[in-house]
Amino acid sequence: MSHAFVNTLAVTRLEWRRLLVRPLAWVLAALTLAWLAWNFTLLLGGFLAGQIQRAALPDGPGFIDLVGVPLLAQLAQLAFLVVPLLCMSALAGERRNGTLPLLFAAGVPAWRIVLGKYLGVLGWLLLWLALTLAMPLALMHATHFDWGKLAAATLGLALMLAALAAIGVACSSFASHPALAAAAALVVALALWGVNLGAQMAGVNGGAINWLAMSTHLQPMLRGLVSSTDIVWFVLLIALALALAARRLDADKERG
Amino acid sequence: MTSRISDSPRTVLRLHRLSRRRAGRVAVQDLSLQLQAGQVMGLLGVNGAGKSTTLSMIAGALRPDSGGIELNGEDFLEHPVLARTQIGWLPERAPVWAELSVEEHLDAHGRLRGMGGAALRQARTAIIERLELQPLARRLAGVLSQGQRQRLGLACALLHRPALLVLDEPANALDPVQVAALRALIREQAAAGTAVILSTHLLAEVTAVCDRVAILHEGTLRHDGPVRADDHAALEKTFFGIAMNGGTEPARAA
Repeated sequence: MSHAFVNTLAVTRLEWRRLLVRPLAWVLAALTLAWLAWNFTLLLGGFLAGQIQRAALPDGPGFIDLVGVPLLAQLAQLAFLVVPLLCMSALAGERRNGTLPLLFAAGVPAWRIVLGKYLGVLGWLLLWLALTLAMPLALMHATHFDWGKLAAATLGLALMLAALAAIGVACSSFASHPALAAAAALVVALALWGVNLGAQMAGVNGGAINWLAMSTHLQPMLRGLVSSTDIVWFVLLIALALALAARRLDADKERG
Repeated sequence: MTSRISDSPRTVLRLHRLSRRRAGRVAVQDLSLQLQAGQVMGLLGVNGAGKSTTLSMIAGALRPDSGGIELNGEDFLEHPVLARTQIGWLPERAPVWAELSVEEHLDAHGRLRGMGGAALRQARTAIIERLELQPLARRLAGVLSQGQRQRLGLACALLHRPALLVLDEPANALDPVQVAALRALIREQAAAGTAVILSTHLLAEVTAVCDRVAILHEGTLRHDGPVRADDHAALEKTFFGIAMNGGTEPARAA
């Protein structure tokens, strides 16, 4: 294995271990999964109640439209709160504890520290997504599944979580205190989500302002439409946020 | 005191006109030093003299503004990855990841330095035994006392058998028994060929374990020379002469 990979993996393991021991990660997981499970039962109840009426419609909405995607949409809403809280200590906590120099002194370059931290948080978030997906998947043999639509929505959610995590890690790299990092990440994420609200209210559906908004790129995927433009938008956002975080960490080493 | 300098004259560390500004003021200026394998050098100075800045640069945690650092003949600034295998650093106040146990700390440090598998397990067991950390092995670092953290930090610094050991105030918060054990450990490392830099406020610490002493004042090297255990008064005179009056003594080459 190359040094770069070993270093990054060591930082990822360190972050994972810290997340597993920290009560915050467990509490967030328990509360959000309980909330999602409760909503899943409500959505399922609604789906079962309307089954007879929908049977008369030839192309009516199915289980994924009425249960799977709305559940993932709720996860997306929760992510705006959960991801900043999960990422806030990634680098701001290291800086505050004085442990960041230990990573520098181990010869780990800034970009590998950032990547390692990011992968650690991303692993937790993907597990969170997988546990949420397990709820509708538990009924895969009991009802008709639109696998394509579910896959597209899952991809959209995974990209969104990855983007929010990158924003969270970037904010954590700039903040002196974890709470400031969480607040900054929340504001940036909400701003990115709703940057085009004004334009939409004015009836403008295209243009740069709509392209900038995260909602523009997630909503088609939740409807089952995957476009390479949307994927590229998320990848660019992730790369930009991580590059900023690495640059900030490099400056830390310069400034001391 | 008998000389503890190893027979080998191999130069482990060479600083060449190292300079660094911090918070708008000169922290270290034109610092040049050499350190041989098996040599223990005490770094003395009042608060703000530039000791910790110097050690952070040597450990690779802080980039110098100018100057060079050679580690075993290689340019450390060009190849910062050398820090992984060749330097062990105990920073001031021994920062720890509070969520990790003592064993996990050692594992994390080992992995960050490219160790793994059986080699890491063996090194971890050996250093835990050597520093008598067995009762603390499964305890979270966040609940350790400052003295216990110092010992953990020391264990992390020694885990990968570095060629250069950089210790920033290692005796902080240690009780007298632990201080004696620390001195024995430093001597043991030097006898094994490790070069050691020890920053301290305690002159007794320097005369007890060091072969050489360097005194920094306002970021510049004011004294660099040998030190003897029975010459505490001379060291005290030199140190206070520099610290109180800013007196300058031309730095002698090691």
